[in-house]
Amino acid sequence: MSAEEGNLLVVIVDTNPSVKLMMKGKNVLTHCLDSVMVFSNSHLMISPLNKLAVIACHSHKSSFLFPKPQNDDSEDDRPTDGQYELFAQIDRCVKDGVKQLVLESPQETLHMESVLAGAMSMALCYIHRIEREEKSRQKLSARILVVTASGDSAAQYMNFMNVFFTAQKQNVIIDACVLDKDSGLLQQGCDITGGCYLKVTNVSALLQYLLWVFLPDAKTRKQLVQPPPVHVDYRAACFCHRELIDTGYVCSVCLSIFCAFSPICSTCQTAFKLAPIPALKPRKKKTKTGL
Amino acid sequence: MAEEEDPSSYRWETEYEKTWESIHEDEQGLLQGSVEEILHRNKRLRLQKKKNIRLGMMRHLFVIVDLSEAMAVQDLKPTRHLCTIKILEDFIGEFFDQNPISQLGIIITRSKRAEILMELSGNAKHCMAGLKDIADAVCVGEPSLQNSLELAAQTLKHMPGHTSREVVIILGSLTTCDPSDICSTIETLKSQKIRCSVIGLAAELRICKALVQATEGTYHIILDEHHYKEILYNHISPPPASGITESSLVRMGEFSSHVSDAEGKSSLCNCHLDSKVPGEKFGIGGYFCPQCHSKYCELPVECKACGLNLVSAPHLARSYHHLFPLENFKEVNINNRTDSELRYCCGCQALFTEQTVYRCTQCQQLFCLECDLFIHDTLHTCPGCSSSRNFNMGI
Repeated sequence: MSAEEGNLLVVIVDTNPSVKLMMKGKNVLTHCLDSVMVFSNSHLMISPLNKLAVIACHSHKSSFLFPKPQNDDSEDDRPTDGQYELFAQIDRCVKDGVKQLVLESPQETLHMESVLAGAMSMALCYIHRIEREEKSRQKLSARILVVTASGDSAAQYMNFMNVFFTAQKQNVIIDACVLDKDSGLLQQGCDITGGCYLKVTNVSALLQYLLWVFLPDAKTRKQLVQPPPVHVDYRAACFCHRELIDTGYVCSVCLSIFCAFSPICSTCQTAFKLAPIPALKPRKKKTKTGL
Repeated sequence: MAEEEDPSSYRWETEYEKTWESIHEDEQGLLQGSVEEILHRNKRLRLQKKKNIRLGMMRHLFVIVDLSEAMAVQDLKPTRHLCTIKILEDFIGEFFDQNPISQLGIIITRSKRAEILMELSGNAKHCMAGLKDIADAVCVGEPSLQNSLELAAQTLKHMPGHTSREVVIILGSLTTCDPSDICSTIETLKSQKIRCSVIGLAAELRICKALVQATEGTYHIILDEHHYKEILYNHISPPPASGITESSLVRMGEFSSHVSDAEGKSSLCNCHLDSKVPGEKFGIGGYFCPQCHSKYCELPVECKACGLNLVSAPHLARSYHHLFPLENFKEVNINNRTDSELRYCCGCQALFTEQTVYRCTQCQQLFCLECDLFIHDTLHTCPGCSSSRNFNMGI
């Protein structure tokens, strides 16, 4: 680990209360949050140059828990028990933020999945700004850790893909720690950006997983034994039936994917000319040989 | 720049421009504000251009690089030749990033000859390797415009009709040595619907102008390195598909099963069959063609055995933002706002320092200029829309 290079870690915590996991025990969410906080503090302890941001991602919105935009509240947040000021501040911010989020959340509608793509795009904007600000001072390598327990939704596919490619371009690693359901989209994201994807089955040991797998930065990870890479399913869903397909047809104009040939593209209304010819040829041959 | 506005006349023929009149002093007699405003407008100008037009997404592009004596001139630092290679390197990376299923080739011309340095290929690494070869090349003799165009046309004319065929010529020399009448070559290019663009490093040539006019390309003369880069980068985003290109459904294997260590036996991939290094790319992982099960170590590629185009879904998804572009944000003045909620950028959480901020027309969130540029140039997703449930179900 080189001394002059800092790491910026953006932790995205999925606080969606409607997941199955939360039904399991009483204090699961609190336990997870505690683990994430201990993990975040350990990240800050590794080097004084390290930076941290925490984003909470709820089912209806996502917001920054830390750092809070500088509010004018000048209440004395100095810890009484001699705890490091920054830790106490993070602690307080995260607790307050989560409380506020839960209180704000609409009661009527419950969604199974969270708006992770939004939180990740906010994280990328934040990283972009911090890197710009710090450019003159030090080299900063950034990464995003997503801790989530809700599955992914196809509706956010485009947003996810945009986020992954941006992250790849900006050299931001995306790590994912999945607690309950496997997320195919996050698997792809980790694979694209070179991050680590881990499914944690034993939630009570979350902290240990976090510390072992996600605490080391990209350079250090090369020297450690990491969990084996997962089998990533990159297959696309066709636009017509939303089914995963092996081979299909791609519209040359809008790149929509179809599982069967159709004369007009349903996305861009282009009429296709050439393609049926190769489809007809083999049939003719077959009839000839049959005769 | 002048020819963009009015192609018929030259800048020196137009009326005298009073450039200083667009700068005004503010109350304190400072120019800063006015200058900043102009800079700021230029920054956003790029974003305004985008419109909803049909684009030629599958592209076949030949870059013709002049390696004649004229390229050794040192008006670009260190030389035209090395400067070109440096800019091309960035260009190729960006090109494949933005046009994942397109192909690019390089032709060099010197000593009155033209040769294909690299055939059309969809792999950025091959292109980069090709560029390394030019970096060591010596710039000699005269270029031949006709020879290189003929060579490009020979390959491009066999490309399927639904793809766009393009040639970008980087020309340092002011002369060309052609074996016969170049006008007939231009005619053939025109009939084959090959779009030719020229970037001149020295001065405008009539023959180049005739060429681009006949083939609907663009012609630019560079001012300096920065301008050079900007002009070359204009060729990155796909050109509007002219009515002439046919459209068709292309059969593709859109999948990629990356086999993990547990299953499968180790095998040799098809792309390294003729490699001289024994044992190279002999392994377990790889992508398998769903039709004939030949293995490849990189995508996108055309299957050597059955001719199926192999791509992965993310490759296609990478270019969707051309098709579903993010709407431009509206400029808003926050002069008279005191709400604490609205003092921070929704993306990067920075306190607004400038008076003008940008509002997404969908989710009404405010963004700072830097985030606005970042979101539209790179991210293509509005953080506000995607993190609120009401708006992200669009696509």
